[in-house]
Amino acid sequence: MPSSQPSSSLNALLNQRSDLWRGRRRPQARALSSGRADLDRWLPDQGWPTGRLIELMPACFGLGELGLLLPVMARQTRSAQPVILIAPPWIPCPQRLARAGVALDQLIVVRDTRHAFWAAEQGLKSGLCGLVMLWPPRGRVPERSVRRLQLAAEKGQAPAFVCYRPDQSAPPSLAALRLAIHSGPTLEVLRGNAQHSERFHLGRSNVIAWPGVRHTPRSISAAVSDDSAVSIARP
Amino acid sequence: MKQGSQLWAGLHCPALPLMAVWQLSAIAGPLAVHDSVRGQARLLQVNALARQHGARSGQSLSQALAVLPQLQSRPRCRRAESRMLDQMALIAYQHSHQVSLAPPDTVLLEVGGSRRLRGGLGPLLDRLRDEALGAGLQLRIGLAPAASAACLLARYDRKAGDLTAMQQAIGELAIEHLMLKPNQRKAVHDCGLRRVSELIALPRAERARRFGTTLNRHLDELHGDLSTPLAQWHPPEAFELRLELPVPTARSDALMFVFNRALDTLGRWLEVRDQGLNRLNVRLEREDGGPASAFDIGLARPGFDQDRLLELIQLKLDGLRLAGDIDAIKLDADSTAERRPAQSDLLDGTNRSDAWPALLDRLSARLGESGLSSLAPTADHRPEHAWTWVPPGTSSPCQDSRPRPSWLLPAPRPCRREHLVLEDGPERIESGWWDGQDCLRDYWIARDGKGRQLWVFQEHQPRHGWFIHGLFG
Repeated sequence: MPSSQPSSSLNALLNQRSDLWRGRRRPQARALSSGRADLDRWLPDQGWPTGRLIELMPACFGLGELGLLLPVMARQTRSAQPVILIAPPWIPCPQRLARAGVALDQLIVVRDTRHAFWAAEQGLKSGLCGLVMLWPPRGRVPERSVRRLQLAAEKGQAPAFVCYRPDQSAPPSLAALRLAIHSGPTLEVLRGNAQHSERFHLGRSNVIAWPGVRHTPRSISAAVSDDSAVSIARP
Repeated sequence: MKQGSQLWAGLHCPALPLMAVWQLSAIAGPLAVHDSVRGQARLLQVNALARQHGARSGQSLSQALAVLPQLQSRPRCRRAESRMLDQMALIAYQHSHQVSLAPPDTVLLEVGGSRRLRGGLGPLLDRLRDEALGAGLQLRIGLAPAASAACLLARYDRKAGDLTAMQQAIGELAIEHLMLKPNQRKAVHDCGLRRVSELIALPRAERARRFGTTLNRHLDELHGDLSTPLAQWHPPEAFELRLELPVPTARSDALMFVFNRALDTLGRWLEVRDQGLNRLNVRLEREDGGPASAFDIGLARPGFDQDRLLELIQLKLDGLRLAGDIDAIKLDADSTAERRPAQSDLLDGTNRSDAWPALLDRLSARLGESGLSSLAPTADHRPEHAWTWVPPGTSSPCQDSRPRPSWLLPAPRPCRREHLVLEDGPERIESGWWDGQDCLRDYWIARDGKGRQLWVFQEHQPRHGWFIHGLFG
């Protein structure tokens, strides 16, 4: 068709702008592979979107929110991109992290909960981190803090995760992706580029027997620049 | 070095006594410094505003106060003056390898060898003047091939590039300009001599007979016939600086202004010593004599970046509750290390290797050093002793391949066996007999009602029962 040619190139041009509102069809955001092929296929952006907030809403802590990120943490720390965990509810087990391939010298845990949002903002703003994950302190989550975090996330290329407590509700935000973790554990997209109806089963494999350490860092799957990815129309 | 190739610059600060007692005279108002002369307080120096309103140096303090009641005067402080002179020497030391003090108010530096350092003498002297001005000191600069001549010419801001120009410049000076003892000066004056050239024209023996041999020696030094004995100045081994605030305050912007000044000096000291800063101790002294507030700033990587340090100080000040107004700050560089220049990335030009320590510094300035850690495994069979917090960035090998959960609870929590479905296990751990905390446990992987996988253990010794120790997830 002669008319499809200019419109597809226009699409490609518009797709380069991740901040452009285009109705229900949003452009493919830059994404970082989650390290699991089946999860990548299921996630709306084929991975963890970068430069935007990702909100996790587990039904209770310990349903796999850390295990979900271990592959990407391993990859980022091994390519010398530090990972910052801010105010986690418990102590991440160093043996488990090391076994998943995380370089422990590139992992920083902020234990002080008073300045959790500030620390996350600093980490994101610096543009140096490979991943920032924040567990907001108890109580109501201030909308303003989340918005500041979103602005800081846009400055870097790191995926920024916010993991809310079961009794916290997420304030209205510009998060690229909001995932609920139900007991099972299963994932559900509450908000994202495409609305999935089916849930993703994390399965046992995620939690115990992890495939061996991957030594070669995999490159970021930049879906925007990839022509084939543009042509796949997602519902 | 031969006398002929040397060129000396004298840096003279005429208002040094005034500057030394009114360090950061940002406040507007008539200021003066007085000294006690034969038991009477007399003004030594006054600032421009005080002079406008009729105060003169040499006046007695009571007389000056009668003329100008709002005049503020402080007694002369020779120790503060010598500290200031050290600051001037530090500025000079950045541009020359040979620096000497000529107390009370002049610093000498050899500039013949540094001529090409800043692209000529003019730029070099301009730079010296600017840097001193940045530290609040207005300079007069003299230039001469002989050190004592440079010292003398500096008082009159005269420059002589070679020997003949110098001899001419010295000759043109009036006898009063020579720093003679009062009785010598009187004797010279009584002979009807008015200019230095007339004094030099006298035969040597005659001069020695009339005015003493020391004058001959002094004239020889000024003339360049005799080299001046000079003691080399070296930057102090340790850095310590105390700055007084113009007005006691608890406002952080006023404090930051003073910190900026202090860091200028610290940066200069580090540069001439070619060192990087590890840790800076800061003390804020209260005006009312109450307990001083103190904090220290550690740097993850030795170095000196003034903007970054200012930011860290600001963060520390924000976290500090000042109980009263501060009238002085005291800085000492607790530890320094060899300086390593910052490296930037070849490809994208960013300075990653430097930015990461900067981020850690910023975080730990606000969170405290215990608020920020890395994790490390330790060699112990008991899981609660098998990990530890370590300073950020500590690398630690880990060979443990047994199944471990993602999360560890800070301490094992008792639970009820009925709520758990055991899925895998057991792993027996029997350990700790050597430190009195021996235990005998069977670890299981279990699932709870919410579908979480837990790491639980049944303890046989010393307690009996079931405990949750961690979570997979």
